[in-house]
Amino acid sequence: MPERPLLKISYVEDDDDIQRIARLSLERVGKMEVQIIGDPTLALEGIRAFQPDLVLLDWMMPVMDGPTLFKRMRETDGLQAIPVVFITAKASHRELEELRGMGAAGVLSKPFSPKDLPEQLRAIWRELP
Amino acid sequence: MNPGSAVPVDLAPTRGASARAEDGAARADPGRVLADRVEQLYGPMPLGMLANLLVGGIATYELWDERTRDLVLFWWGMVLLVTAARAVLYFGYRASARKADEAGQWMRWLGISALASGVNWGFAGAVFFPSHTDEQQVFLAFLLAGITSAGIPAYAASWPMFAIYAGVIVLPFTYVLANFGNRLFTEIAFLVPIFYLINVAIAYRLNRVFLSGYRLRHAYDRLTEDHTRLNKQLEQQIEELLEARQEVEASGRKLSLFAERAPIAVFEMDANSTILEMNPAAEHMLGYSTLELIGRSALNTLFPADEATLTPAWWADFVARREPASRIRTRCLRRDGLDVDCEFTITPLVNEAGDLVSIIAQCQDITQQLEAERLKKEFTATLSHELRTPLTSIIGSLQLVNSGVVGDASGEVTELAAVAERNAQRLLDLINDLLDIDKIESGKFALMPENVRLSDLVQESLILNKSYADRFGVKLEVHGEVPDVSLHVDRKRLMQVMTNLLSNAAKFSPEGSAVEVGTRCAEGVVRVEISDHGPGIPEDFRSRIFTRFAQADSTTTRHKGGTGLGLAICKRLIELMNGRIGFQERPGGGTIFHFELPVPADAAAT
Repeated sequence: MPERPLLKISYVEDDDDIQRIARLSLERVGKMEVQIIGDPTLALEGIRAFQPDLVLLDWMMPVMDGPTLFKRMRETDGLQAIPVVFITAKASHRELEELRGMGAAGVLSKPFSPKDLPEQLRAIWRELP
Repeated sequence: MNPGSAVPVDLAPTRGASARAEDGAARADPGRVLADRVEQLYGPMPLGMLANLLVGGIATYELWDERTRDLVLFWWGMVLLVTAARAVLYFGYRASARKADEAGQWMRWLGISALASGVNWGFAGAVFFPSHTDEQQVFLAFLLAGITSAGIPAYAASWPMFAIYAGVIVLPFTYVLANFGNRLFTEIAFLVPIFYLINVAIAYRLNRVFLSGYRLRHAYDRLTEDHTRLNKQLEQQIEELLEARQEVEASGRKLSLFAERAPIAVFEMDANSTILEMNPAAEHMLGYSTLELIGRSALNTLFPADEATLTPAWWADFVARREPASRIRTRCLRRDGLDVDCEFTITPLVNEAGDLVSIIAQCQDITQQLEAERLKKEFTATLSHELRTPLTSIIGSLQLVNSGVVGDASGEVTELAAVAERNAQRLLDLINDLLDIDKIESGKFALMPENVRLSDLVQESLILNKSYADRFGVKLEVHGEVPDVSLHVDRKRLMQVMTNLLSNAAKFSPEGSAVEVGTRCAEGVVRVEISDHGPGIPEDFRSRIFTRFAQADSTTTRHKGGTGLGLAICKRLIELMNGRIGFQERPGGGTIFHFELPVPADAAAT
């Protein structure tokens, strides 16, 4: 478990409405600092600039999907150490296993509960080495 | 027609004629041969009796003499007596109904009569010869010789009978001749036994000829009988074969009709995949006429060069294994160059000797089926993603409103937002249930088993469903002590089952009552019971409670919520975990749902 508390989150998500709900959830319920990135192709620079504690990645996005972005992050200096949590409407075991195998810190399923989202992320955070 | 009932016919024609005759003699029935011999012996009896009377009469007349009158009279009386006795014997034999069965008896009687007749003539020779004149002696000798030789044909069917008959005539006569004191007569006396022996020998030969004649006749009868029987059998077999052929032809016509009218393409091929025959559906599917394809190799003609499934190597392996292969999906080349997706069932026809006779391939165009499968997959993916994404926004927004994070709303707004959230949640449940059912039924469902303590599972399920039960004013309670065992199950999925059963129980319980969770463990099986105080399950609904979209009353759905898929999913999940699920009435009202799961041998109490 990291010593500092989970405070800064980057969320890469193409759906405007979900962006808004996630922001409200994390800011109001979770009292966290949130960066929302709508365009995955701009995500790498955004994340580098924001330097979050944790990145939340949508799985299915146009142009570049979550797993691809995740691989890019792993190849990019300065972003390799940031833990990544996927949030997906796809729920097959095989795909979840695949994500974990790629080194994801956790997987949350959509629809998520805005009431519980911050606590779910903190639970994953506590499990980190 | 039963071919097994046919008698095997041995028609081996290779053995020689002599062997057959011997065989025939062996086949003659000795009893019947004896009866025939007796019949043969009795046949000439009237003639013999007539000859005896005639010759005896002439002899009596010729030998009539004052000196020997009484003796001749006595002799003539004896001849008459014996002849009368023989006549009685003859008519007795003729009248007998069982002469064939009693042939031995009749033979003995005849022997005695022959002896008596012979003794009469022997007496004549011995008594009258010395006392009469030379002419009369010649007459007597001639008479005796004639009477003796007449016995040969008369007793030809039994040489010993002739030997006795002739013996008693010749022996006293020989004795008289030898003691007459005349050199010529002494010489004759020496010759008579020789003639006698020659006659007996002739009778013996004749007897043998007769015997073999009888035997052959009987054998021939037997053979004729056998032949007739065999002929009948053959006729019957031919008839049966004809019937069988008609049946085979009829079923052949039926089969070819099936093949002709079947919507499935059918090919017959040999071991080299050369097409021998095909049906109209095959013509239609591939665009070839039968004449174009017969004689061509299916492997080279029907499948694209880059085909990966039905390759020559696969075919060689199939021919070697000779086991039917089914559900082989491959692409087939049509005559116009397009290819269609096909599914083959290929069956080798092997005869009793184990030889591959031909290969029957049935084939279906599954292009449309594959398209339907693709659409379904796409639909499922859409359901999964495209429906959940807006629901994420809807439920998320409503939750934020209802939790007061974004500020307090007025009473009615809160109330309506709660209604909206609950129904959005219901929609999400339905989608999740549909996806679950789809995954389970398409066999794509994989469990992720782990070791779970039963007590943890029960506690967690109560906590998770507490808020739901609170809505109905129902308490969730553990009844009794939970056995300290671990299960090897998919934790999340078993929790889904518990949630389903608990929420169902809460939903149908009267306000203020309790839903009880009972557990027990015996003989390697854990049983979990969830009992409620609800109205019970209507009689007519019980049989279909675990089927899809089953709900007791459509109005309940509206009142209580639920998709009608929950119990169907529970049943499938529990069965996937090698368990059983069921329900019974609760004594005193309500229902008890239960499921049973195996306890792994090594994961018992710690």
